[in-house]
Amino acid sequence: MSVIWIRAEEVKHLFMSLGHLGPWWQSLHRTMLRGILGKTFRLVGYTIQYACIAHCTFEYVGGVVMCSGPSMEPTIQNSDIVCAENLSRHFYGIQRGDIVIAKSPSDPKSNICKRVIGLEGDKILTSHPSDFFKSHNYVPTGHVWLEGDNLQNSTDSRYYGPVPYGLIRGRIFFKIWPLSDFGFLRDSPNGHRSPGD
Amino acid sequence: MSHLQMLSRIPRPLRTLERGMAQSQGWVKRYFRAFCKGFFVAVPVAVTFLDRVACVARVEGASMQPSLNPGGSQSSDVVLLNHWKVRNFEVQRGDIVSLVSPKNPEQKIIKRVIALEGDIVKTIGHKNRYVKVPRGHIWVEGDHHGHSFDSNSFGPVSLGLLHAHATHILWPPERWQKLESVLPPERLPVQSEKESLHGSP
Repeated sequence: MSVIWIRAEEVKHLFMSLGHLGPWWQSLHRTMLRGILGKTFRLVGYTIQYACIAHCTFEYVGGVVMCSGPSMEPTIQNSDIVCAENLSRHFYGIQRGDIVIAKSPSDPKSNICKRVIGLEGDKILTSHPSDFFKSHNYVPTGHVWLEGDNLQNSTDSRYYGPVPYGLIRGRIFFKIWPLSDFGFLRDSPNGHRSPGD
Repeated sequence: MSHLQMLSRIPRPLRTLERGMAQSQGWVKRYFRAFCKGFFVAVPVAVTFLDRVACVARVEGASMQPSLNPGGSQSSDVVLLNHWKVRNFEVQRGDIVSLVSPKNPEQKIIKRVIALEGDIVKTIGHKNRYVKVPRGHIWVEGDHHGHSFDSNSFGPVSLGLLHAHATHILWPPERWQKLESVLPPERLPVQSEKESLHGSP
């Protein structure tokens, strides 16, 4: 019985000492919390706002892209940095000879960077140039025919067929790195592969 | 003459008029500034939300009867399209999805997913009897066979064309419901490579 009584006394002493700190502790708690909470909310708000502006810019205007792979040599080398714009895609202004970025047909999470050789309705030469009998294919409606500039080392429409227009993300029009190659991009080194419409 | 002395020479009514004018110009400037600030916050956030999280669309056509638009042209269903669920291109057999039409990039079509990559499908009206769905593609069909422009016409579609997953019907109110991911047993793939997360019937 006496042991319990002593314990209760100890607890009462502890609470009374805390109580002396009481008002000071409470006010510190309140201002610190309000300040930190306010700052956190403001930070979260700004982050959301800038993330949304970034999304709208990359989706509707354009952005800077780094290309990797040898399939567009010599026009675009491995690890070049280029500018892409998305306005042509939204206004359906992609033309033959444009270099476009598209989602890969076999892997939607990765992007491919190729040149548009033919639009819908075009006749594409699909046989090897050295063949005697030439074979042609027509590009179906709503699709485009993509080929890399480095024909020996490029998996493109010759491998997976025509690509739907809806997979195109944007058009590359300007190279900004390396500085030795700064400027607008060249025409295809492979000449004209499609006899046109 | 000092500035204050000059001011004191202006008659009283003119001074109050000037002060009123300055205040009204200040009001216009403040309103313009607030409008710009609100505009640049609200528009990108709204556009990002409608592009990435969810949006609402009206369904037209009879290709998904009787699940959607059973009344034909009298009343079109309005569905909730969930972009967030397909941000990693994960769909299950039986889901109703909207995608960019492979034949017309300006149009979006809404169909049911019948088969995923690696499955072998028995087609209805396609030039090949059996089709194996290539990697990164899906096979979609409308519920109203014969009145539907779907994979039986244009073949498997690339997952990159996936737009959203239709989860609920929002209008008309008597048709409020959650759209179930069910696959009719006669349309099950002949052979599947990938297992669904929740087994289809």
